[in-house]
Amino acid sequence: MDLILQFCMNGLMLGMMYALVAVGFTLFFGVLDVIVFSHGDTVMIGSFAGLAMYWWLGSYYPELAVFWMTLWVLLAAVAVVALLGMLTADAMIVPLRKGPPLNTLLATMMLGTVLRESIRLFFPDGSNPQTFPGLLPDWSWQSGNLNLRFDNIVLFCSGACIIALVHLVINRTRLGMAIRAVAQDEEAAQLMGVNFRFIVLATFALGSSVAAFAGVMNGMYYNEINFGVGLLLGAIGFSSAVIGGLGNVYGAILGGFIFAFLQTIGVVVMPFASAYKDVFAFGAVILLMAWRPTGLIAEPASKRV
Amino acid sequence: MRRMAVFFSGPAGCVFLALIILGWSNFFLRAEEQFPILVYMLLVVFLGFVANLLHLDDSFRASVAGHERLWDLCLIIVMAALIWLFREDHYNLFLLGSIMAYSIAVLGLNVQLGYAGVINFSCASFFGIGSYTAALLMTRAGIPPLPGLVAGGVVAALIGCVLLLPVLRTSGHYAALVTMAFALLLRVFLDVSEWFGGPQGITVQPMSLFGLDFSRNIVFGETELSFYLKYDAAFLLLLCLAFSLVRRVERSWIGLALDAVRSDETASACFGVNIMRWKITAFTLGNFLSGTAGAMYAMMLAYISPANFTFADSLLFLSILLLGGIGNIRGVLLATVFVVLIPEKFQVIQEYRYLIYSALVLLMIVFRPMGLLPRRPRVYSGGRA
Amino acid sequence: MITRHIFRRALFCFCLALLMVLPGAMTAAAAGKSTVKLGYIGPLTGGNSSIGLGARNAMELAILERNGDAGAKYSYELVSLDDECKPNIGIQVATKMAADRSVLGAVAHYCSAVALGTVDVYHRFGLPVIVYGAVHPDITYAHDYPEVLRIIGTLVNQNQVASKFMLSQGYRRFAVISDTTDYGKSHKEYFTKYIKEGGGEILEEFGVTADQQDFTAELTRIKSLNPQVVYFAGLTPLGVRIRAQMEKLGIKAQFEGVSGIKSEAFITGLGAELAEGCLSFLEGSPLEKLAGGDAFMKNYSARNFKNPPDTMAPFTYVAANQIMDAVEKVGPDRKKIISYLRGIKDADSLIGKVTYDEHGQNSEPYVSKYVVQDGVWLVWEDSEYASGKRSLKK
Repeated sequence: MDLILQFCMNGLMLGMMYALVAVGFTLFFGVLDVIVFSHGDTVMIGSFAGLAMYWWLGSYYPELAVFWMTLWVLLAAVAVVALLGMLTADAMIVPLRKGPPLNTLLATMMLGTVLRESIRLFFPDGSNPQTFPGLLPDWSWQSGNLNLRFDNIVLFCSGACIIALVHLVINRTRLGMAIRAVAQDEEAAQLMGVNFRFIVLATFALGSSVAAFAGVMNGMYYNEINFGVGLLLGAIGFSSAVIGGLGNVYGAILGGFIFAFLQTIGVVVMPFASAYKDVFAFGAVILLMAWRPTGLIAEPASKRV
Repeated sequence: MRRMAVFFSGPAGCVFLALIILGWSNFFLRAEEQFPILVYMLLVVFLGFVANLLHLDDSFRASVAGHERLWDLCLIIVMAALIWLFREDHYNLFLLGSIMAYSIAVLGLNVQLGYAGVINFSCASFFGIGSYTAALLMTRAGIPPLPGLVAGGVVAALIGCVLLLPVLRTSGHYAALVTMAFALLLRVFLDVSEWFGGPQGITVQPMSLFGLDFSRNIVFGETELSFYLKYDAAFLLLLCLAFSLVRRVERSWIGLALDAVRSDETASACFGVNIMRWKITAFTLGNFLSGTAGAMYAMMLAYISPANFTFADSLLFLSILLLGGIGNIRGVLLATVFVVLIPEKFQVIQEYRYLIYSALVLLMIVFRPMGLLPRRPRVYSGGRA
Repeated sequence: MITRHIFRRALFCFCLALLMVLPGAMTAAAAGKSTVKLGYIGPLTGGNSSIGLGARNAMELAILERNGDAGAKYSYELVSLDDECKPNIGIQVATKMAADRSVLGAVAHYCSAVALGTVDVYHRFGLPVIVYGAVHPDITYAHDYPEVLRIIGTLVNQNQVASKFMLSQGYRRFAVISDTTDYGKSHKEYFTKYIKEGGGEILEEFGVTADQQDFTAELTRIKSLNPQVVYFAGLTPLGVRIRAQMEKLGIKAQFEGVSGIKSEAFITGLGAELAEGCLSFLEGSPLEKLAGGDAFMKNYSARNFKNPPDTMAPFTYVAANQIMDAVEKVGPDRKKIISYLRGIKDADSLIGKVTYDEHGQNSEPYVSKYVVQDGVWLVWEDSEYASGKRSLKK
């Protein structure tokens, strides 16, 4: 029993991480109909920005309380990554919408490589994994095989809060209304006086901030960050967003948890063949797509001819 | 000046352009140092600029459009001439061989994505299935290389059929996910499966045709020609076959149907075009081409392992297609040269090469969003498609 | 108007002329001592680049030192190429290097999958090559190519020593995690074989992909099996993640790695506290024990390379020097260099004695045992763990 609970805990943490990444994918897709493949690397940049801030604080304000330290690390990550997101949107993604849609994908893929290689080459000792500080107190509660950690619970809850916050912003504010309007019909929204460019930038800032949070959370959870996590994390985030149904925040969350579940169950059910767990997970994704071609929570399928 | 423009819009334009390409590729392939490589790359930009200044670009375009057969012949001759120029240079012949292998695979991808609009993010996987099929059939079952080559294509097409249901039911980004999942899955599968050689891969027997062993150098008295020459000749033949096949498909009513399916499924269904049938045709044909190319590539490489056929490689194939201009099969050839050669030439900048290369591709996409040579709209009158 | 046309035409002709003339102008003239080219192939980009870059720098150091030596008959030049740890790229660059007759010898490959593919290329073109970091046995033992030598021991020796050591420390119950690359897989194979032969028990084996981030599922399962040792076969990035996540799940077992985690990055990635007591094994004698070890480190840092030397640097350094010695002795001839290298016996070096056997394998099977103590990799015999002051986890 305690073993199953432990598996659930791990799966939930993992799912939360994937969901946070997937929310970004789904937001960008909703507003601009594009897949921003560098999003996984954006997460990685977030954790490195946080680490840099931590180092800086550590050398100038070593006396700072942990709470403020965490806050500053988060702020630095969010600021850097939101700026990066807005820059990407303004300089690359909006201009590229004139070309074939796959171009955005290729361009963002290349951007991802540029980000990855830049960290590897220019961050101090960037080609090696870096220790990320735990920051939160490491109280834990042990019972049999179950090990409940205080910091994990805090991380999970704050992840949930962030998603709830995004949801509130989108559904309850004027800005959110404008975002939804643009997502529904760009031209009509512009006719109604919505500033398109502003909305795009705001969406990218929002989605990227969530990614920055995911990056810091990733660092605090694993206590280790490295430059290469972006590609796979991006692929998984994208998968999660698509499984759930693109353009739908609930779908992204659902997809994230499903993917984490698929990866964990592979190890639980077939420990003898644990190397095959990714084969199992991706096979399940293919089957899932064959069954629900537009994701579990389908987009409203009204198509103008 | 006007006369010059007229002159170059005739057949002379094709020949002249081909000569320039031949000369440039010859020297670029031989360039080893940082400075000449940079100079040659700038030279391309500069030549383009000069041609634009002299209004010659329009004449060349007209020349190529007006004399397609001649232009294709010129390209084949250029390739053959390059192969011959480097007859003793193993390394450059190997590069040319890789370029042609990738071109054939991307031609397959072009049928899927460029014509029928079927998204495929697992081109390298089908390329790899072709490689593995040929390798396993030859080593385990003792099948001769030529049937092995064909089997590579056939098995790739057959395994593609497994994916048909999800690929056909989904569209856009959803189809992208299905194929992406397949690419990731296949890589892991090959890695962990003992029977397929596992992570350390398997050695592949060389191609041999009518008693001619492809892995031996050709010796004429004093001179010794590289064995890669034979592979390149075979690749050139395959490429010509694949090219003319794809070209014929494009110009036939099949191509028309595929275009219709891509541009508007609903409308073409209303006019009685069977969407399923054409998507299946395009997907299978494309995978067949990729698989065949993979089988031949494996024989040239003599050793394959799962690390050659990752998701990143699939994205590489896709980027070739996008850079060349989706749907334009000549653009494919040009872009393959770019994508294979540039990172290789960037070896001189060592650990910075991928950074610079990706930045370069990024710039190209921003400045030429439709690819290097965008596909032109079909012309329905005048007998030319 | 006419002048403008003439100008344009002239410009056009000028460009064409430039195109044709350039390559002639580009061939650089060599002067002074005749120059000999030596090759290096390893991962310079991607996940394993830190090791590949360190190794390249060490080779550059060896060459710079030799060029500074007035007694040397030749001056040396390094040609270094990136194999990305991908076999097809490896074969491509190996072909480039081996087919270039002016390259007389090479030090190559960190990844076994690449080396397995390229040995045929070196054999075909007759390029003497010393493999510095790839440890799969087949690289030297699957063929009789005289061109291929290897300075690092195979993973067979390493696991023999490792399993014997672990059993002698009283450990019996092992959980095994290995990455699905050839490196991890073959390590796992030999380790489990020797452990079983020695009377130990392998509770369960887990295969993980080389870019996996989350190991909590595997580790939770391991926790329920309650092993004494978690053995990990793979490289530093994964090793760091697994060790860190073991702590998160409260697994109290001893962590044991293979040569792939014996790097500074393992300790910086984990922090001294978590890394404390981790075990690893590496071929060759420890640097600081041998004459010249300190000098090597000092010279390396004096050159201000951008990357730290990392684990493989001494091996490339020694291999490069062996090739240069060969060139000095027998002249710039590939065949003679091969036979010189093959004849190396009992040679003292930075990594201990070197003797190449009939397969070109360095057969001095000395494997050093390392343990992390206070944030440094210490040789086991010198550590407080061996003296009994501290103890490993039971």
